[in-house]
Amino acid sequence: MPMLEIAGLSVNYGGIQALVDFNLHINEGEVVTLIGSNGAGKTTTLRAISRVIRTKSGTIQFNGKDITRSEASSVVSAGIAQSPEGRQVLARQSVYDNLEMGAYIRNDRKGILEDIELQFNRFPRLRERKAQMAGTLSGGEQQMLAIARALMSRPKLLLLDEPSLGLAPLIVREIFGIIAQLHAQGVTILLVEQNAKIALQHADRAYVLEAGRVVLEGDAKELANNERVKQAYLG
Amino acid sequence: MDITVFVQNFLNGLSIGTVYAIFALGYTIVFSILGIINFSHGAIFTLGAYFTYFLIGGLNNGSGILANAGLPFGLPFVLAILVGSLMAGFCGVLIERLAFKPLRTRGADPLLALVSSLGVALVIVNLVQYLIGAEILSFPSNVFGEFVNQNPSINFNFVDPSRPIPIRTVQIIIFAVSLVILVLLAYLINRTKFGKALRAVAENPITASLLGVSVDRYIFLTFLLSGFLGGLAGTLVGTSFSISGPYFGVTYGLKGLAVIVLGGLGDIPGAVLGGLVIGLAEAFVPGDFSAYKEAVAFALLFIILLVRPQGLLGRRLIQKV
Repeated sequence: MPMLEIAGLSVNYGGIQALVDFNLHINEGEVVTLIGSNGAGKTTTLRAISRVIRTKSGTIQFNGKDITRSEASSVVSAGIAQSPEGRQVLARQSVYDNLEMGAYIRNDRKGILEDIELQFNRFPRLRERKAQMAGTLSGGEQQMLAIARALMSRPKLLLLDEPSLGLAPLIVREIFGIIAQLHAQGVTILLVEQNAKIALQHADRAYVLEAGRVVLEGDAKELANNERVKQAYLG
Repeated sequence: MDITVFVQNFLNGLSIGTVYAIFALGYTIVFSILGIINFSHGAIFTLGAYFTYFLIGGLNNGSGILANAGLPFGLPFVLAILVGSLMAGFCGVLIERLAFKPLRTRGADPLLALVSSLGVALVIVNLVQYLIGAEILSFPSNVFGEFVNQNPSINFNFVDPSRPIPIRTVQIIIFAVSLVILVLLAYLINRTKFGKALRAVAENPITASLLGVSVDRYIFLTFLLSGFLGGLAGTLVGTSFSISGPYFGVTYGLKGLAVIVLGGLGDIPGAVLGGLVIGLAEAFVPGDFSAYKEAVAFALLFIILLVRPQGLLGRRLIQKV
């Protein structure tokens, strides 16, 4: 049974169809990427899974449990964390407090402190800046913080929305190094990216979205060699 | 100005200023979470004072349909003020559920919430007038205990031993209580998980819910806290002077608005600073002009906003396109 299974999902967003009869599944331990151009419905998919937008029809099942009508907060408790598009760090709180907020659903004080330490080891830059307001970090640091914060809830499934957006190539490589590490540690990831090349390099499987519909899906390496994908997304 | 008069005015200003701060914080936390000004906050102030008055066993000497009515019991004042303020808090929650939430879920313009809260304020004022009456209700002079009753003012002679400065004992108690509340509130908002989550919701509700924070629950708690602070401020002012009738909170409601605009909308330290500035400014209005005391808050607001449109501590609003 897949960890996450989306069946026949349709979402309307401000009068337009953002997702149409969308199907996707993710198995435990997989890194699955969702690629496509701006406005194809990638972010909408993640928002629908995290239950911060309303869906029109279809179902979302997580570990066999229907979460289509769940509260956003209980989706996090169920084990799905998201690092949203544009990082969305809490600008007026410190790096440390952002991490603590990532563990909002947890109450094991000791485990939380250990996990903060774990994130600092994973992203040493964050340790240097732990007392700094998150709004004063660079884009790359904010992205690291957003990922670290999402990991603080000890998610079973991690949703990453455009982690490369607006970052210098060197930083993008650093971020994807961490994603590869997480993959090796067995974290299940749904990765949304506009940078199809790097996303396909790091994923097991991929879905290509166009205007709210899945037009291609399959093994990430194979899709990277697909003529249509090459032409449209790998330029 | 004579130094003793100066010190006296200063202490009085601090005392009323901290009450303004508590009241204004109720406005501010709601504004910071929902981006709306809750015009019924002044009515909550009134309700808090009435609740506490009746909870200590006070009788209604008004001419409303509940004339001469009272509760069959009387709580000790400390308990009554806590329960009364909490009841005011739940009135705040009720107002949120009836006047704000239906508009919010339909995606209405925040301006409409302002109008609906103004409507709620009018309903409360008229309900109080109908049930209780328009008369002034006064707390008994021994409400703070026999010591305060026997010593209505305390002389301070630290400035000039030959000319002691009398300060009303009630004023000192109110200052102490307000200060404790402000410290507790600062701790709650800056140090606790509740406060951090509250600030997260204020900054970005969608991000907060992505972290597992139930935004709806925090809106509930915000109105509870806001109403509690409003009711508490109302009771403190009521014990210091008296409850001047159903319109008791109206002037304070407007003044509270001046306080938060002065401090910077939605800014928590700004609300405290704004409260102190307005409290002190009023205290220094010369006796000859005391009839114009109420105008001071607004004159000050006008002048400061000319120079700093974002308020004393407010951030400049950047309109995103």
